[in-house]
Amino acid sequence: MIFQDHATIKEKLEILSDAAKYDVACTSSGVSRKGNKGEIGNTAASGICHAFGADGRCISLLKVLFTNECIYNCKYCINRSTNDIPRATFTPEEVCTLTIEFYRRNYIEGLFLSSGIVESPDYTMELVCRTLHDLRTLHRFNGYIHCKAIPGASRELIEEAGWYADRMSINLELPTARGLQELAPNKNRTTILTPMRQIQNGMAESRAMLGMKGGNQSAYWYTQKRTGRALPGEQATLHTTQNLFGQKKAPEKLADNSLKEAQTAPDNLISSSNTGLTQWKHRDISRGFVPAGQSTQMIIGATGESDYEIMAVTEALYQRFDLKRVFFSAFININQDSSLPAVNGQPLLRREHRLYQADFLLRYYGFRADELLTQQRPFFNTYLDPKCDWALSHLEQFPVEINTADFNTLLRVPGIGTKSAQRIVAARRTGKLDYHALKAIGVVMKRAIYFITCNGQMMYHFLKIDEDYITRNLLENDVDVMKGFDEKVTYKQLTLFDDSDYEDTN
Amino acid sequence: MDKPTRIYQCNNTVDGIFSAVYDAGLSGYGHRFIRIQPIQAGQNENYELFAEYVQVETDSKKTKSVIDAVRQKISEKAYLFIMSAVISDFPDRGDVIYQFVTYGFTLGAKVCNALQIPCVDRIFAMNRAVQNETHFFREFLRFQEVQKDPSLLLAVIEPRHHIIPLLMEHFADRFIEEWFIIYDKTHLEASFHQKGGNWEVYLLTPEKAKKLEELSEQKEEYVDLWKTFFHQIAIKERTNKKLQTSMLPLHYRKHMTEFLEDNP
Repeated sequence: MIFQDHATIKEKLEILSDAAKYDVACTSSGVSRKGNKGEIGNTAASGICHAFGADGRCISLLKVLFTNECIYNCKYCINRSTNDIPRATFTPEEVCTLTIEFYRRNYIEGLFLSSGIVESPDYTMELVCRTLHDLRTLHRFNGYIHCKAIPGASRELIEEAGWYADRMSINLELPTARGLQELAPNKNRTTILTPMRQIQNGMAESRAMLGMKGGNQSAYWYTQKRTGRALPGEQATLHTTQNLFGQKKAPEKLADNSLKEAQTAPDNLISSSNTGLTQWKHRDISRGFVPAGQSTQMIIGATGESDYEIMAVTEALYQRFDLKRVFFSAFININQDSSLPAVNGQPLLRREHRLYQADFLLRYYGFRADELLTQQRPFFNTYLDPKCDWALSHLEQFPVEINTADFNTLLRVPGIGTKSAQRIVAARRTGKLDYHALKAIGVVMKRAIYFITCNGQMMYHFLKIDEDYITRNLLENDVDVMKGFDEKVTYKQLTLFDDSDYEDTN
Repeated sequence: MDKPTRIYQCNNTVDGIFSAVYDAGLSGYGHRFIRIQPIQAGQNENYELFAEYVQVETDSKKTKSVIDAVRQKISEKAYLFIMSAVISDFPDRGDVIYQFVTYGFTLGAKVCNALQIPCVDRIFAMNRAVQNETHFFREFLRFQEVQKDPSLLLAVIEPRHHIIPLLMEHFADRFIEEWFIIYDKTHLEASFHQKGGNWEVYLLTPEKAKKLEELSEQKEEYVDLWKTFFHQIAIKERTNKKLQTSMLPLHYRKHMTEFLEDNP
């Protein structure tokens, strides 16, 4: 290892931002907080991106590792202990100065602090906590802080970080326990899920005691509530996903009970030191505990999971851990480790994209994972987005009449998103809608026209509700509908695309 | 019955447009035949044949009366739409506001959702354009420290619409304890924020504007650190310039620190 003991701040930033770039969740959303006199900063619930890098990903936080010296040897990670790369460690002061000075210039929305494991999880978490403490108290920083919980760190330290941070995240790393065992021998599901549960309970308790503090519930929560389904924490039985999480059921049960307690009798909980939050008296509770919620991320394509398994895990995380978001990161073989699959050239961006689309369908559109994929058909269609794909296999539910269909039905139409559906419902109160108005509302007509009627009529008389016909037209991308007349092109020619092998397509 | 179109010519200011809306509304001439045309001082307009022209006298009392009527008889949301439209740079905004207000007086609060009416669709689009531009500059505006002790921050922007007041709502809350200036190069306006939260918008003379531009050409150490971070954080294997451009259009990069060339 090359240690850079006397590196300048620029050299450290170079090393430690490079080391942090594989972390996905650079969001600054989920909590809105006004500025205070004597402090610097505020936060916006929508989140604010401040730049977009050459890879098109948003840059909203100063995303750095505290140190990239790591005792762990996870095979997929650039910072694994056996890699011969330059290493560096910030001081808390350096991180604070960089954050404040970047923030003042409107370069960033706040800090995203993660770290390699130096000495022990507790030691590392302590350094992270000290940095956040200095930033909040000495530098009076009131902007956004996203902090990684280090798996295996003690409850006290996780809680302390939660009082400083707006959002916390613990990386699930790999979708299955099996994969984790193979590639990250120093981590296991328990050390990852336990702090996740602790933060979930802490958030529930803080909300019961202090209110939302500018934070909001997850999109998944709102959607479930709207569609009248059970909310996270209320439903404990889940079929397909239980074995994916392994046998670690005991701490969850305990936690579920304490969540119920938190909802019914918050007063009893302050004294019960076993579960829940214990540092009410020692911390500044004005921001609440992790007000912007928690997220996680997993690597896609390093181990052999199907999309179906990934979506099932994702759904379970939303339901049982009340996560704000689950992020996916297409695997890039940085270390050329022999136990990892060889990825030639481009990472599996298309697959990652389909998973994100499906994730939005879960969170905003009220789809269930088992509606999108099944054990028999475990991968997404590479060529059609999951919503179109779903609609094509459920043509019996279409066409939908724009002027009468309810909100949840409208949401399931390809080309209609949450905003368009809201606008349609609101505009209908004043008068009937026609296709021109739909365009104005923002419906993506090139997809929607096959699935809707306005006042009983489809947009063009020749449109057919026929799977082959629609597929062919959708695939012609930027469809010029008039071209749809060409009957010589048949769906048969396209069946060879209709497979699930993503590697061939990238 | 056909009448000649009547065109109300007014000052290209907030008061000017609202005065025209007020006069046009009270004239009883018939909404269909009324148009409103804001005129930039010192600019020649095209005149139409067979139209009557009326010069509007600008009066801030008329503004207040229109705004009060909108807030009472329509809704706060309609007020927001109208204010966004009036600070926008769209040449047809006078007409659209006038039509929107007349529809609003008949339909009430639900007019804002009635996107099937062309003028509502248009004002909705104007509002969206103004709010989007404001949001873009909330994201992409860059300050630099042009003076230390006491520190003074300066940002230069070139927006299409007059968005400084909207931007200031955000930045005045965020940087309560800072002295800063946001300079709008398009409209030669600047807002000056004092430590503690007071701010005001000033119209600039060309000389003062030039002074601000000279100030903005200094270089400071954090620029270098930020550029380092900006380049390091991108993943090479995922390079996607097209995505970057669609998320961060070239137009906004003009004054962004990370896209400015280094001065040798």
